[in-house]
Amino acid sequence: MGKQINVALIGNPNTGKTSVFNQLTGLNQQVGNYPGITVEKKEGICKLPRGLRAHILDLPGTYSLNASSIDENVVIELLLNKNDKDFPDVAVVVTDVENLKRNLLLFTQIKDLEIPTILVINMADRMKRKGIELDIPHLEEKLKTRIALVSSRKGTGIDELKELITNYRQISVEPCINASVMDPDYFERLRKAFPNQSLYKLWLVITQDVNFGNVNRQALSTNPGFQTKGENDLKRLQQKETILRYQFINGVLKAGLKVDINSATDIRLRLDRILTHRVYGYLIFFAIMLLISQAIYNWSTYPMDFIDVTFASFSEWAKNSLPPGPFTNLVSEGIIPGLSGIIIFIPQIAFLFLFISILEESGYMSRVVFLMDRIMRRFGLSGKSIVPLVSGTACAIPAVMATRNIENWKERLITILVIPFTTCSARLPVYLIIIALVIPNETYFGLNLQGLTLMLLYLLGFGIAIFSAWLLNKILKIRSKSYFVIEMPNYKLPLIKNVGINVIEKTKSFVLGAGKIIMAISIILWVLASYGPGDEFENAEEIVLTQNENIDISDKDLEEEIAAHKLKYSYIGIVGRTIEPAVTPLGYDWKIGIAIVSSFAAREVFVGTLATIYSVGSDEEETIKNRMAGEINPVLGGPLFTFASGISLLLFYAFAMQCMSTLAVVKKETNTWKWPILQLVIMSTFAYFVALIAFQVLK
Amino acid sequence: MILLQEILVFIIFAIAVGYMVTKFIWKPAFLKGKKGNEKSCGVSGCGCD
Repeated sequence: MGKQINVALIGNPNTGKTSVFNQLTGLNQQVGNYPGITVEKKEGICKLPRGLRAHILDLPGTYSLNASSIDENVVIELLLNKNDKDFPDVAVVVTDVENLKRNLLLFTQIKDLEIPTILVINMADRMKRKGIELDIPHLEEKLKTRIALVSSRKGTGIDELKELITNYRQISVEPCINASVMDPDYFERLRKAFPNQSLYKLWLVITQDVNFGNVNRQALSTNPGFQTKGENDLKRLQQKETILRYQFINGVLKAGLKVDINSATDIRLRLDRILTHRVYGYLIFFAIMLLISQAIYNWSTYPMDFIDVTFASFSEWAKNSLPPGPFTNLVSEGIIPGLSGIIIFIPQIAFLFLFISILEESGYMSRVVFLMDRIMRRFGLSGKSIVPLVSGTACAIPAVMATRNIENWKERLITILVIPFTTCSARLPVYLIIIALVIPNETYFGLNLQGLTLMLLYLLGFGIAIFSAWLLNKILKIRSKSYFVIEMPNYKLPLIKNVGINVIEKTKSFVLGAGKIIMAISIILWVLASYGPGDEFENAEEIVLTQNENIDISDKDLEEEIAAHKLKYSYIGIVGRTIEPAVTPLGYDWKIGIAIVSSFAAREVFVGTLATIYSVGSDEEETIKNRMAGEINPVLGGPLFTFASGISLLLFYAFAMQCMSTLAVVKKETNTWKWPILQLVIMSTFAYFVALIAFQVLK
Repeated sequence: MILLQEILVFIIFAIAVGYMVTKFIWKPAFLKGKKGNEKSCGVSGCGCD
């Protein structure tokens, strides 16, 4: 095996850094447009010419080396710690050709750390259209580096970049700027106190409020030969540094970059003016959300019906074909219905992610972030909170992790605490089945009522999240200061490959991640529903026959009565009847109670649980929906799933904190059990009382 | 045949319970993967201390 070198891929958000990473490593990853998408460190191996291998680190997007978020600290800590195993032999700074001036600020800072640094100018395919001309030899000379002109979308320039990485030793490590001109006396004292350290590295350590591992800040403050400055003086020097860098960059670009403005940003400006308009912006966003919720319903009806009927037939086939016995019953009544409870929702989930990916890829999502900042500020959130909140519609777990790019701790904590209110994809199966049962499939003014209800539930989730944020902002006594910076990427046609990969990955992770839990719970529930203690279960047949001795009853009805009696006295029946007094006021029977309890592990288990419980003892080939529609309320009589009980259930699931994995992630991100326990108790209590009020008012 | 089916049901049930326990309650050491590097938290006042 040839020699391996460490390459750090660094850049501002939205410069196509992840796409360059994909091109270099061949690994498939999501490429989004809104900021903060690259939160975790990503790595891959790239084969270089002459048998060399590069270990490539895709570092989180950062605007500068003046850290303001945890993401940015990751970059700085790596670049300042030569003992880190990932410390780069060469840094590759990815820039966007249309935002070169701003992107070069980070480049000059990294270059000044005396690390061999290659400049990648990405999105070269847009140069002609935007009227941009570059004088590469001039830029290379002034920036004292080598430049690769790349189009990560078209895959051009990647071989040249690989060649530059291979020959990284030939790249000058001479700094772009002499940092000591900011304050010559101060830097002279610094040089004398720490003669063997890079000046700019020392400067960064002094000015950052972070722990840099091997670079001990205390050593700086306790060194007798050096007296550091006060916070205000340091900030003034930081500003001076930024001005100095931009003066340098302006000088470099004056001759190195030419832009014909006439052919440039007309369409973008016009679109931005409409999409971020104070009135039209919100109307368009609302219309898009409406379109998505309608499309999810209308487009996925046929594949869903097909899956439902197919699984019902498959279950029937298994029962008739396999030798009779408990294992056959487990397969036909437990495993297959449990599986259908998750697979049936693949079409809707795939459509949801398709739309979200298209919005991200096209650049529209960043406009939504900008648009929503105006509203979010009033509720103690940042515009950046909209990214995790929108991500929360897929899954709360990555959404909670995505809060890392919110610099302000109070805003971050509030965002983490309210994310579970947004409608995640795990709620979707519950919503879809209950809506199908209690909301008429009718259309008014071209709008499907069921689709409209789904959209209202999404809005309700967002509304409660925002309201809770406002409340938390008033309650939490954490002092903090905040500012908002957002990247507005160019509009572009979504890449089919990226959208496709995103849809497949998200759907796969939903099905496989939730599928295993659903399958395990379906099996456990079936066993608990098929076995029981005591005579009432063992002698169910005799007891029912005795009870019906003098009554004229058909064989079918008798069988159903025996099955119901057995279920009632099974292990699960005992548990269900124990919790029944707590769920009856909400309009539920003990079976729904069991489904709620089991779905505390994960919400999506709800439908699979009901499908399993309702299948036990059933010989009929029926779809999940029909089985649920046929259930009778044991207290009130009539159908169990009425408008009142359905709405109550929808509201319970909208507000209850039913996801163990989310609680674990919240604990990890806040480093205490205090917040997840509060989330669990407050959200679940709130959900219970809202569901109770809804049922009692509507029944 | 019924006994064999009962045994199969028991085995599958035990696997399902085992999976749920290791997933949510307790994971034996041999099932645990490599522990990731603990990262310092960075921004002061982030609630990590």
